[in-house]
Amino acid sequence: MRQALTLNHISAAYGKADVLSDVSLTMEPGRITCLLGANGAGKSTLIKVLLGLLKPRAGEIFFEGENIAGLQPHEIIGRGIACIPEGRRIFPKMTVEENLYMGAYQEPSTERIRKKMAEVYALFPRLQERRAQLAGTMSGGEQAMVSIGRGLMPSPRLLIIDEPSLGLSPVLVSDNFRIIRRIGEAGTSVFLVEQNVRQTLAISSYGYVLSQGRIVARGNARDLRDDEAVREAYFG
Amino acid sequence: MDISLLLQFFINGCMLGMMYALVAVGFTLFFGVLDVIVFSHGDSVMVGAFAGLSFYLLCMYLSPGMPVWLVTLFVSFAGMAFVAGFGMLVSRFVIMPLRSAPALNTLLATMMLGTVMREAVRLFFPDGSNPKPFPRLLPDWSWKFGGALLRFDNIALFIAGGLLIVGVALLINHTRLGMAIRAVAQDAEAAQIMGVDFPFIVLLTFAIGSAVAAFAGLMNGLYYNEINFNLGLLLGVIGFSSAVIGGLGNIYGAILGGFVFAFLQVFGTVAMPFSSAYKDVFAFGVVIVLMAIFPTGILSERQSQRV
Repeated sequence: MRQALTLNHISAAYGKADVLSDVSLTMEPGRITCLLGANGAGKSTLIKVLLGLLKPRAGEIFFEGENIAGLQPHEIIGRGIACIPEGRRIFPKMTVEENLYMGAYQEPSTERIRKKMAEVYALFPRLQERRAQLAGTMSGGEQAMVSIGRGLMPSPRLLIIDEPSLGLSPVLVSDNFRIIRRIGEAGTSVFLVEQNVRQTLAISSYGYVLSQGRIVARGNARDLRDDEAVREAYFG
Repeated sequence: MDISLLLQFFINGCMLGMMYALVAVGFTLFFGVLDVIVFSHGDSVMVGAFAGLSFYLLCMYLSPGMPVWLVTLFVSFAGMAFVAGFGMLVSRFVIMPLRSAPALNTLLATMMLGTVMREAVRLFFPDGSNPKPFPRLLPDWSWKFGGALLRFDNIALFIAGGLLIVGVALLINHTRLGMAIRAVAQDAEAAQIMGVDFPFIVLLTFAIGSAVAAFAGLMNGLYYNEINFNLGLLLGVIGFSSAVIGGLGNIYGAILGGFVFAFLQVFGTVAMPFSSAYKDVFAFGVVIVLMAIFPTGILSERQSQRV
């Protein structure tokens, strides 16, 4: 079967500071693949490269068999990739509903947008109650719902989720992971980028560990749980 | 004071206010979307006026028999389209390349660009250093109210300017592209992650803001029946001040700011004991006080609101 996403020897840098060197990974379609790493390991940079927000210095990115490295962000999103960014990044001066519309910005069919919005509201009834509220005035947990719902709006074939547990209470983190697991079970390929090792590996099928811009470990989620390299990546 | 004279001043304030609001809208749009102050924006107003005059002369040369209303429409749309195109070029070749540089560089570059635009018109427009008569394209119907004269062209310009601003506000608040403009203003990177074509939205924003400025220039020409190469200098500073006192980044603030400034000028002319030559000194003085009272603008929220 064709890989959902393949990164071949990706290197990236900000100015002269190398952030990623020779990163290669593959993602099976319809699975949750995770990328673990401590602060500053290069996770966010990798996502920027994936989304076209930062040009890689070298390497290729294949999404469903086509090289997307070097495309503009809106072209990459147009291929069927979506992202739930770190720190939620909702549009604070827009209503909940407008935020969801922004998620489906490239979807031309209002019919499909309406259907998808109904799905999101079914997943988060709270959002439907507050759909006319400015997203910036909501609580952190509600904003996380907006951000996740917005990421689901375009019905992506690959969903990148960047640090969903950041800044949330443990209860909300568990809720989020439950929802991510459900997204994966529904057949969407998920690339989950996290610091939270235990809960991430619990719902992922395959994982990579990034440390100082390099992949230092890879394997089935079950095996990674007891891997020395994982612990070293965080504490070593 | 005579009530009819007051009415006359009121009409004048409305006209100036609309003109300032049109200029301020551009400042506020550009700041909202790119966090930059485009100081050449006032000179876009001037280019709009001169483009309108040029298209008028072209019209007269090519088909002198053209009906006046058609000439008026052609001059307006062609002038606005010309400046919109110019604004897109400015954003593509001056603003965007400086995006990763400090904001001060953009400020300086656009100030210099404004000088280039002024001097280019002065040098290359035939006899450009002298004021040019601007054609009276609107019918000169008028009505007398006591001693005050209500002119049709004033009403027409005011309504046209108002419709233009309402149109821009509707576009921004109720269309998909407008939503993209607001999204870019609130978080450009997040907007890109949602699939918004950022360079295109920047071009679109500059096209809109510049076209609105061009209309202010045409309005200026039709109102005073005279234009000159440096009319954008003061209009730019006033438009910028209006955007700031209204709350930079907020369209409604820009409109409010424009009218506040115009009526300060009128008040300075009518009610102050000094000569009307000091009306700008008075208006700018009050603006300084207003900025001290509302540091982020009258209509802005705690953090400065974008678009």
